[in-house]
Formats: sequence, structure tokens, C-alpha cells
Amino acid sequence: MCLFTAALICGCGSTTTIDDFRPTNKPIDISMDQKVAVLGRRDAGHFVTDREFIECIGRRMAKSKFLVMSESEFVDALYPWFEPRTAPKHLKRLKRIMQVPAVRQKVEAERISHLVWIEGEVESHGATGAMTCGFGPAGTGCFGYTAWDKNVMFEAVVWDLTDLAEEARIRVDSEGTSYVIGIVAPIPLLTPVEREACEGMGNQLLSYFSQEED
Amino acid sequence: MHSKKRICGLLLMGIALLSGCTTNVHVDHPFPEMVAQPRDLSAVLVMDHAFRHYEANPTDKDTIQLGPAQVSLLSKAFSGLFTRVDVVASKQQTYPEADLVIIPSVREVQLSSPSDSYLNVYEVWIKYNLDIETADGIPIDSWFLPAYGKTPSSYMMVRSRAIEDATIMALRDAGAKLMLDFFRIPALHGWLRQQLPAEVTP
Repeated sequence: MCLFTAALICGCGSTTTIDDFRPTNKPIDISMDQKVAVLGRRDAGHFVTDREFIECIGRRMAKSKFLVMSESEFVDALYPWFEPRTAPKHLKRLKRIMQVPAVRQKVEAERISHLVWIEGEVESHGATGAMTCGFGPAGTGCFGYTAWDKNVMFEAVVWDLTDLAEEARIRVDSEGTSYVIGIVAPIPLLTPVEREACEGMGNQLLSYFSQEED
Repeated sequence: MHSKKRICGLLLMGIALLSGCTTNVHVDHPFPEMVAQPRDLSAVLVMDHAFRHYEANPTDKDTIQLGPAQVSLLSKAFSGLFTRVDVVASKQQTYPEADLVIIPSVREVQLSSPSDSYLNVYEVWIKYNLDIETADGIPIDSWFLPAYGKTPSSYMMVRSRAIEDATIMALRDAGAKLMLDFFRIPALHGWLRQQLPAEVTP
């Protein structure tokens, strides 16, 4: 019983670390009719940044007074300049893209002031324990215990589309252990590492913007 | 009578099982307009019946109906490259005032699924060939245009939906590559410099 209670308490705990870098402490000025686009990196070999995490950041930032543009809206509005093949990885490339008059005009027409690039992934490892589930004429049931570690690492970079400069860089690491305990029914005790990372990064991003009333 | 019913039942079950193993994907997706500065040139895009109704069979069990989607994508992509684009069904419908005649064809479509690659993604490769000619029918180049698309993750994805998503990404990639590289094709660049010096940017 003690072990069960301990597992219940520990199962939901996770450690989240947020590191950020900004060249200045001045808040980023943005008006209510301007938009911030939140995008995920898609150019890596065999992983792509988790779409759910990007949507989660978008939802958190939507609590602001400025407008938040979703990834699909942004890449469609500026097709084909932000496809995996063409998306700028560095400011130098962004500056070249913004020299294309049609791109500059579109960005201005859409009132997109900033881009938030998100890159990272979720890893599960270190599975331990064993659980057996069975069923028979008398009933079904699971007995045992299994646990695994989950690590989340995401990095966000904020680009200013007017000054074509990097405004901020945030890294969030979150780790925790999840458990499933089988006492007739399997009881999952999942650590919400993605949610905590999203909350941490979303709040940090929001704190950078001073939201001017028009 | 009883055994006949049983045989019928088994046959029906067999058919259902067999049909369950094949995937027929119809790619139906609206593609965005290109954000680009078209050049002051006219082009005729020849997409014949076979291209418009192209059906790819990347594996024995998978069929991708690619025709309408690739017509839509290429029409929009070339509209971002030229100020005037006419889409016709045969070479006979081209007109002599056109600067270029472009005839796309599909060389190959490849599919990789998690069961083949042990990766958590579906991948699609589409290999196009673009025959570029003058309005008089003089060939300029036959350009190979490869495109690649993948799903973010195959987790909890229905196979047909995953293949469709990867195909859409591959088509979008074809549009991106066209915009990046079309006017950099050495033979085309040289031809444009000879024919229309004012139209070739350094």
C-alpha cells in the first residue's frame, strides 16, 4: 500500500529546466493587429518536430492580445518559401528570401511581425519492470508494474521579420518517469513532460512581448 | 445446403480480407498559390490524358491516384514562374507565340512505409521528367525533377491517410524545387540568354 501511494505521488512528478538568451531586456513591441507565426522545423533527417507541441505553443500564445498564425496558415500564405526544402535555417537565408519583393509584400500584407521556430523531440527510454495481462472464463486482469523515462528537449528561436534579427532563444528540458501499475486493472501514472515543457516555453515566449493597445 | 452457405461465407471473408490488404489513395488537396515574381514569358504546359489521370502503383498493394492533384500543383507552380501559362491536353494545341512548351511526365513513384523501413514515417518519392521545348518543337532540355515527402509520424495514422499526406508533401516539394531551380537549368538559362537577354537576371 505504501509503495502504491509512493508511486502515485512520484509518478506525476517531472523536472523542467528553461534556459533563455536575449540580446536585450527590452520587451518586443507588437501591436494587436500584428501576427506571430509558430513553426516547427521539418528539415531534419528522420524526425520532425512534434506537431502537437507546436499547436500547444500556439494555443498558449493565443492567450495574448496579438494574433497567432498557425503553421499551416503561414506555410500556405508564403508557399513555397517555408517548405522543408526552402525554409531558411539561418538569418542570412531569411534576409535573402525577404529581398524577394513578392515575399516582402505578402509578409507586410499579412501583418506578420515575428516568427517562432521550434525544434526538438520527445524520447522515451529506460523501460523497466514487467506486467502480465490475461483473460479467462472467470474474468480478466493485469498484474505487475512497468516504468519508463521520458525526456523532452525543445528549442525556440524568435525572429523579427521587420529588422531581420534574432530576438530570443529558449531551450526547455523536461524529464520524468511514467508508471503503469497492474492491480487487476492497469493504472497509468503518466508524467506530463510535454505539457510542462509547453507551459514553460509558452509562458516564457509570452513574457517577451509587450502588447501595445492600438 | 449448409456447406454451400459455409463456402459462400468463407469466400466473402476471403474477399474482404484480400481487399483489406490493398490501399487505394485518391489525392485530393487544394494547393496554395505561389508567392513569386513571374517572369515576363509565356509557356504552354502540355498535360495529356495519361498525365491527368495518372495512377501510381508504388507497390503491388498500393495505388495512388495522382493525376488531378499533380495537374493542380504544376499549373499553380508554373503560374508563379511565367506571366502567361496555358494548360493544354496535347502538343497540337500549342501556339507559335509561346516562348516555351513544357511536357511533364512521371518517371516513377516510390513509397516507403514503417513496415519496410522500420522508421516511424511514411515516405513518398515522385520522379518527374520535364521535356522543355521551343514553340517550334526544338528540344531545349529534358529535366529530371525529383520530389520527396514524408509524414511527421505514422503513430495512430490510417495507412491511406498517411500515404496521402506524404504524397501531398512530395507534390508541394516538387513546387518548391521548380521555383528554386527551374530557371537555373543550364540549358534553359543559356537558351533564355540567347533568345531573350533582357529576361535573364544575373
